[in-house]
Amino acid sequence: MSMLFPKVGRKQPLLRLGWWLMVILLSLGVLTHLVPFYIMIVTSITPAQDTLSTTPVLWPLHPTLAAWKLVIQWAENSGAGALLAGSAGEPFWVYFWNSFFMTSVTLLISLPVTSMAAYATSKLLRGRRARWAFLFFIGTLMIPLAVLLIPMLFLTLNFPFALPGASVPNLPGTDQPFPTLSLYDTPWAIIVPGIFNAYNYLIFKGYFDTIPDSVLQAARVDGGSEFNIFRRIVFPMSIPVYSVVAWIQFYAVWDSFLWPQLVIQSNDKAPTALAIYTVMNNFINSGVMDRATALSQSAAMRSALAAGLSWNGLMVLALLQTFPIFVMFILCREYLLRGVRIQGLK
Amino acid sequence: MSEPLTEVAVPARASEAEQPAQAQRLRRRSRLETWLFLLPAALFQLVWGWYPLLMAFLISFTDAQPMLPSHFTGLESYLRVWNDPLVGQAFRVTFFYGSMLVALTFIFPLLIAIFLMELPPRLMRWMMILWFLPISVIANSILWRYLYNEQYGLLEYIATEILHLPHQPFLNDPHQVLFWLVFPAVVVAGPGVAGLAYMAALQGIPRSYFEAAEIEGAGFWRKIWTVSLPRLRPVIAVMLVYGIIQGLQDYTWPQILTGGQPEGASRTVMLYLFSYIQNQRYADATALSIYLFLVIFAIVVLFRTFFKEDPDA
Repeated sequence: MSMLFPKVGRKQPLLRLGWWLMVILLSLGVLTHLVPFYIMIVTSITPAQDTLSTTPVLWPLHPTLAAWKLVIQWAENSGAGALLAGSAGEPFWVYFWNSFFMTSVTLLISLPVTSMAAYATSKLLRGRRARWAFLFFIGTLMIPLAVLLIPMLFLTLNFPFALPGASVPNLPGTDQPFPTLSLYDTPWAIIVPGIFNAYNYLIFKGYFDTIPDSVLQAARVDGGSEFNIFRRIVFPMSIPVYSVVAWIQFYAVWDSFLWPQLVIQSNDKAPTALAIYTVMNNFINSGVMDRATALSQSAAMRSALAAGLSWNGLMVLALLQTFPIFVMFILCREYLLRGVRIQGLK
Repeated sequence: MSEPLTEVAVPARASEAEQPAQAQRLRRRSRLETWLFLLPAALFQLVWGWYPLLMAFLISFTDAQPMLPSHFTGLESYLRVWNDPLVGQAFRVTFFYGSMLVALTFIFPLLIAIFLMELPPRLMRWMMILWFLPISVIANSILWRYLYNEQYGLLEYIATEILHLPHQPFLNDPHQVLFWLVFPAVVVAGPGVAGLAYMAALQGIPRSYFEAAEIEGAGFWRKIWTVSLPRLRPVIAVMLVYGIIQGLQDYTWPQILTGGQPEGASRTVMLYLFSYIQNQRYADATALSIYLFLVIFAIVVLFRTFFKEDPDA
């Protein structure tokens, strides 16, 4: 729906030129937007030696799947395994599964919990109660994550207490410390804090507010319970907003980095984002990424290069990290591009 | 909350005495259901939202030692953080980075959204899919780490081989590092969530506004300036606040690309906070986070007072 270009006189050469100029501009922009994907893919199928050459490889002259093979079976592999064992001794699918598990469980719990609360504040509560409930839920919206970081870290360590371990009070009348639950270093340390999110609540609430009351009244007359009304009538109407929130949250949890870095310690519990970061640092520290060291002495380097692993391996990891986000985007795109258009975030 | 239930049609045959009892039963059931709807989310919000917020303030007034019981120490950690010279540097870096990020990238989603709306539906669909194609921040930062490599990175190649410049330090120069951190976001700018919000708002503008402007003789840019932008103002305001808050809290990008180097020239407040946590200085970290919170809060308040959201204001 064109708004800026006039409806009459579209065929005028000047206007036509302007329109084409805009389309060309947009297309060029899209191309630069896609350049990172291109470079990642090309680098991932380039031989390890070539990724360190001073002339960057922008076209795969000697395409090889060596890096892909190595990454996928890196635990059993000896050459690159020596380099990776210190950091990430697990096969890649372990990290992938960790990420997948924590992301999907977060979504499965979070979507119903958040949307039901939003629905109740939007349609079941009235007047002052509705306002207070709304404030209660969105009050933390503008609080920076930084402030919550340390109490949340303590909470995952000694569950009901957001205090350092030594400060947990004793059971009244005994010397025994209060029993606490530790979520630290488990996927639940990432899942549980991510379940309720004020931002997602706001998106749901904004959508439910637009559903006319008459729709619900009709169902109530027919004697449906509120839960059945929600499940049978409201939910099917709201698929677009569900997919928008699912997408936003999937992206956020899958790509989260700071929080997992704080609460995940064991290597075999790490999500891909963390594993990739560790591998990258190990690579850089071992001298694999330094051209001079790489080509002369570093033993780790020689074995890695002999196995065919360098930046190409990292790009494989990067692509594997991006791939699920891609799939989720493609799955949700229909609703994402339409759903947000219906409602907006305001 | 019981308002809708009073309208429930009670069968006419029900006796006068039965009627209120049934309505009451229904109302009670509905109230119970309402609580069940709210309860899970309320629990999570309480335990992982409000409770940590309260505790953050409490912890900042203690010494929060990991091995010994904590003691109340008043403003000690605040003073310690205030007198830490690296904190001042971190805040300077954060401001500079955040404002540069917003200044250089904020306009792109807006322009892209406005332009995309001009396309015919089919082309717009395809363009949107390509434009909104997401990339993992982790993956992107690793890619740029490669491109910025001093010996064999693509940017070094462009600078020395194509532009015939001397060897460029890029991320290794303390004076340039912040610019080069922002640079990727400018080159490969995408519309992101902000773009989706703008497109939503653009669709809500009545066509008649543009038609009226057209009759008055307004051209392409004039319509953007006098119709689109004022109508988008509330969304722009929200996105600007979010952009600033995000920019001031960025962690992943500087951490993966530079880790705060060289000489702390890219060590943002979040990076410094993380190093506090790694050194188990929990009280200081909390105090620092509250400083950051106050700064962000002040910016939001300033913004609200100077930026009216109502498009008709």
